[in-house]
Amino acid sequence: MTASNDIDALAAMLLVRELESALSAREDCGFQLLSSGQEAVAVGVAAALLAQDQLLCSGRSIAPALARGLDPGRVMAELIGRASGPCLGRGGRGHLSQPSAGFFGAHAVVAGNLSIAAGVALALQARLDRSIAVCLFGDGACGAGALHETMNIAALWQLPLLLVCDNNLYSVSTPRAAALAPQRLSDLAAPFGIKACTVDGMDVRSVRGAAVALTDHVRSGGGPAFLECVSRRFASHSTSARETRGQQELAADRELDPITRLEKALLLEGALSTQTALGLREQVRARVTAACAFAEASPLPVPDEAFADVG
Amino acid sequence: MSADPGRTRRVFFREAICRAVGETLDAEPNAIVMGQDVGAFGGSYKEFYGLFERFGPARVRDTPVAEAAMVGLGVGAAAAGLRTLVSITYMDFVLLALDPLVNYAAKARFKTGGQIRVPMVVKLTAGAKGQGVAHSQSLESWLVSVPGLRVVAPSNVADAYGLMRSALQADGPVVYVDHKRLFPTSGALDDSVHEVPFGLAAVCRPGRHASIVTHSYMVCVALAACDQLAVSGIDCEVIDLRSLAPLDLATVCTSVSKTGALLTLEEGQVVCGIGAEIACQVQARLGPVRVMRLGAVPAPVSSNPVLEAATLPNAARVADAVRRLLMEG
Repeated sequence: MTASNDIDALAAMLLVRELESALSAREDCGFQLLSSGQEAVAVGVAAALLAQDQLLCSGRSIAPALARGLDPGRVMAELIGRASGPCLGRGGRGHLSQPSAGFFGAHAVVAGNLSIAAGVALALQARLDRSIAVCLFGDGACGAGALHETMNIAALWQLPLLLVCDNNLYSVSTPRAAALAPQRLSDLAAPFGIKACTVDGMDVRSVRGAAVALTDHVRSGGGPAFLECVSRRFASHSTSARETRGQQELAADRELDPITRLEKALLLEGALSTQTALGLREQVRARVTAACAFAEASPLPVPDEAFADVG
Repeated sequence: MSADPGRTRRVFFREAICRAVGETLDAEPNAIVMGQDVGAFGGSYKEFYGLFERFGPARVRDTPVAEAAMVGLGVGAAAAGLRTLVSITYMDFVLLALDPLVNYAAKARFKTGGQIRVPMVVKLTAGAKGQGVAHSQSLESWLVSVPGLRVVAPSNVADAYGLMRSALQADGPVVYVDHKRLFPTSGALDDSVHEVPFGLAAVCRPGRHASIVTHSYMVCVALAACDQLAVSGIDCEVIDLRSLAPLDLATVCTSVSKTGALLTLEEGQVVCGIGAEIACQVQARLGPVRVMRLGAVPAPVSSNPVLEAATLPNAARVADAVRRLLMEG
């Protein structure tokens, strides 16, 4: 990977952070699941994907959608229920989707998108063009039978499926250790003979490196793979959930910020100047301002649309 | 067997299903079948017999015992460009797979603004035949209230074929409910390739005194009851709904307008059942009419033959219900 990939990754992570911050500040923000803190996972994984691949994810879908290249204006429109969102404002944050852009999309039932992703992988396998399906899910999904059923079939049928667990260490308020027995969540893949590893999800380079290796494995017909990325979310579970973590823990998490971490590394390595870094932030802010303006200019759906496209 | 359009032959219920599925696999390279024992075994009721040999293991796929993942994979594959049929041997086990069916498949087209469609059939086998409390239920009324799901339930060979053809051409999810006691039945099937459209009930016995509105195996029970009632001069009309979602209220109302009395009959529970919905909708259209609902008693369906029989409607109970209905008037 080159420095230009790193700068793209930095810009992609900044876009997520900036867009979510603009979203949170809005009166019509509503119920949202923010990705702030976890940007490196979606951005690192998306960097390993090709145009014909499909990315699926949990309801925490803003970073995955943006990382996959969806237009920030349309994403913002969808998030605030406007008709120019890719789902015409009907899906919202939990169900962002744009398959034509390689983003099959979100499904807000915990563990609910895993077997769907395996089905998408089955359809892609029939195409013989080496395309793959990738499913991002939280640590909460690892306690569900859906993961185990899906891994079993994916391994049996050698499906082109990369499972990515974005382990942010909490299911709402329940710490991961109180909910899940395995030492590492990637250990769950071993009994099925699925290639797996665990990486630091706060380091976009580590995520990207592992994602490239595992997507190569999946793409070349090696069967499914499992990537665990240990991350931290900076906000509470959702915009309507109480924060249960203490100030000290939150401050320690902030120290791991994937954006400042990459930026510092690039500055230190001489791949980025302070001036370029500032310019990058300015560009991202301008994109988000334009995205908000686009979304605001878009109408809400008419009530009759409640009956459209049923079935 | 080579097709001979215009010719009618006698086939078993399972053969009618198999023919419709085989024709689809032949015509659509993207169509696949998945389920437990659907492969070389030919399906638990032999309803996929020979398809594995014709189309191979990639298109007629045996799955592990994992209903949630089976349906989830079927949904995902359909959403991404295949046409899928997922077979679940006992309808009771669809409860394990309601999340992909109800939360994803039924909502995908709406929630994505029409970007994703799920052309999938989930085939479920309902009904009691000596297999006990968790292998005997008729739960179709649970599914008909889900916006985005279509639910069909044939009672005879011709509809088993024609409704399966329609289900495999639909652009959204269809629940196809067959019945253990229908598999041993046989009937006439035309050799021509044809469909039975959704939302169209059939008058399978004309009559003057009361309308029995039912579906699936209970159509056979209703017809047997009609024979008993005919002896005492009571002439009942039997409506086979065939399609439970959408419902064909027009055909039902035409019949009830004529007879003035409605007995709804189902093998599932009466509470919040298909009959409750029909009774309510018929009266909303026609005003007050004599109505009675008949279904399983509110108890589990045992494998014990005495207890199973005590739980479910049979011809004598249907005939008795019709007599009471007519006496009330």
